[in-house]
Amino acid sequence: MFTKIISAVLLSILLTTVGFSAEPSKSASQVGVTVPSSAPAVQASTTVQNPVAAAVASAPATPVPTPVSGVPTKVKPNRAITISMFLVIIGITLCVVIWAAKQTKSAADFYTAGGGITGLQNGWAIAGDYMSAASFLGMSGLISLYGIDGFMYAVGPMFSFIAILLVIAEPCRNAGKYTLGDILSFRTSPKPVRAVAALSTVTVSLFYLIAQMVGAGKLMQVLLDIPYRVSVVGVGVLMVGYVVFGGMKATTWVQIIKAGLLMSGTVLLAFLVFAKAGFNPVGFFTDIVGNQLVQDHVRINVLKDALPKQGFDYGQRFMEPGLFLKNPLDQISLGIAWALGAAGLPHILMRFFTVPSAKEARKSIVIALFINSSFFFLINIIGFGAALYLSPQLISSVDKGGNMATLLLAQLLGGGAGSLGGDMFLAFICAVAFATILAVVSGLVLAASAAIAHDVYVNIVMDGKADQQTQVKVARITSLFVGIAAIVMGLAAEKENVVALVALAFAVAASGNFPAVMLSLFWNRFNTAGVISALLVGTISALALVVISPVMTYPQKIADDAKKMIVTLEKKQSEGVMLAEKDVKLLAKSRTDFEKNDGGTSMVGLKAPIFPLKNPGIVSVPMGLIAAIVGTLLFRDKRAEDMFDEIEVRQITGLGISKASDH
Amino acid sequence: MAKESYNWSEIARNPKYLELKRKKRVFLFGWWIASSVYYFSLPLLSGYFPALFKIKLIGVINFGYLFILSQFVVAIFVAMYYTKVANRDFDRLTDELVREIQ
Repeated sequence: MFTKIISAVLLSILLTTVGFSAEPSKSASQVGVTVPSSAPAVQASTTVQNPVAAAVASAPATPVPTPVSGVPTKVKPNRAITISMFLVIIGITLCVVIWAAKQTKSAADFYTAGGGITGLQNGWAIAGDYMSAASFLGMSGLISLYGIDGFMYAVGPMFSFIAILLVIAEPCRNAGKYTLGDILSFRTSPKPVRAVAALSTVTVSLFYLIAQMVGAGKLMQVLLDIPYRVSVVGVGVLMVGYVVFGGMKATTWVQIIKAGLLMSGTVLLAFLVFAKAGFNPVGFFTDIVGNQLVQDHVRINVLKDALPKQGFDYGQRFMEPGLFLKNPLDQISLGIAWALGAAGLPHILMRFFTVPSAKEARKSIVIALFINSSFFFLINIIGFGAALYLSPQLISSVDKGGNMATLLLAQLLGGGAGSLGGDMFLAFICAVAFATILAVVSGLVLAASAAIAHDVYVNIVMDGKADQQTQVKVARITSLFVGIAAIVMGLAAEKENVVALVALAFAVAASGNFPAVMLSLFWNRFNTAGVISALLVGTISALALVVISPVMTYPQKIADDAKKMIVTLEKKQSEGVMLAEKDVKLLAKSRTDFEKNDGGTSMVGLKAPIFPLKNPGIVSVPMGLIAAIVGTLLFRDKRAEDMFDEIEVRQITGLGISKASDH
Repeated sequence: MAKESYNWSEIARNPKYLELKRKKRVFLFGWWIASSVYYFSLPLLSGYFPALFKIKLIGVINFGYLFILSQFVVAIFVAMYYTKVANRDFDRLTDELVREIQ
């Protein structure tokens, strides 16, 4: 009965948008026209200004071809083949959902698949939860355009599993149950702590989720001309379906399937690149350094040297740092967000509870770390391969941020555009990206709804007194609403600069959740006031710093840049030089840009950023930590200190571990 | 959640427990700090000593590229070494302790 109602709701959402889309196909095609005015700004903030996002999730947020430089080249996947592959993936995952739905009866089944996932399965699922389409598409793009800096960039997301492995996974598995709130409320006043933990979880997950949804929408729009709204709603309906019916079990298997597909695609691509290079790494890199197009790209597009400097090796420069990552302090700040943030992400934390013991939790993180490191290593081969075999010029002509590099390379290595092999391989890689998005968003919806249903409803509203049936029902209804909220926000954020959201999710997780979890597990005096001040100060400081950072869009800056362009071009004109058609267009565009943006301010009314760094971690993490310590010491709590023995013994030994059979 | 009736503070004073706790803490935090130092040396060195990264070691492949690769090697090594030590020492000590208590 209940499930029928949900199916009906989902179906009606889907139908409404399909109905809608008949008209929006027009509005979608307009996007291509309206985007250019804002494209440089968005572009700049996505790919240059904010590295976190480019790599974490939002890289696909900007694959809008920028028609500024004449006619853009496009990646044209074969629609029929690609859509059939999508349908195959949807079909397989729906079978998984039907299978999982039959076994999801208790709250433990819904949130943790009854603790019945093995370490090996969970390792693949964690990898599937973590590796986003942006890493797959965006990071290889960065490498293909900026060389070694792109590869350096991959170290952060790879390394973040070390903190999880050593100090987070096993203790959390031993001391926790379903959510972040369970760990934090263990020896504190449960109600306020759960409320704040739930708020933080929902914030982090929704930020991340919206960025993914917008990315998915834009990617599908560029690749397959599917209108933005249809893709966002389609992805949204699928993810809600997975989570509502199949709970953690379905989500886990969707993530495992995705990780399998992603790794096969990556291994195959890297193998083909390596084969083309004659399995000779030194020769491969020598070819890149000696490649005329790569050298020109570094000289003209990156370093902006109009004339070659005497004796400067522009090819070798591609192998040296500093082309993309320019501010060391920002890099360190970003490094902190990676190293600690991933360990505080609620949807990752939640995955440890799906295995039966700390030993299995350890095993799953080690496996995830292996998969993850191999993935990022292979991405480096793919990225450099794209630079050599496609040329950075071609890649950036299709998408300024390089997000189409992987796809173009697949097409080339499959046999070229128009060939069956090229079409098939490209379609496969598109399908991999699609599966990747689905898996990541499902995990996020599950984490957010667990926080609302388990922490807020069951433990705050119902005082923990809810029977299994009610708990599952509430969890399903919550997932439905979280999903709908994500769809609505994804649609509303179509033209927003969502990049900041991912940076924010990581920064909040690193500055609030991470200190709170660590101190709950390892500091005897930590108490209610400490948890609440860590979460609030960490979250608010990260939020505030991002809002006043260069990541945001500053209309005044766009106006100033436009002004500069106008002055240059008008000077040319006044000197009697006939402007090329391209320049005339650029002049007109600069004038509208100037008028539209002059005197404008950012979202919080700033003309220019106040905080100089794009990544707040270096300031917000210490702030969250200090707040935690100060809060704790100001409001000492005897009960919390007395209970430290219990949480410590539990987290170290696993005694009294919460098992599926406990209910 | 089922309520087992353990005397937590008594366990917390058990010498075996204290040994396990100390060993785990030294190992986990020690390796965490050591690997973090290595990890943060990447942005530090590349940002403030870029000349070091430019030194060619194998053909055109320079120190920077190999240093980045070594980050992967270090992460995998830490994971494997921890697994080995945990399986050999920590799990055994935990099992002994749990058996003694139950």
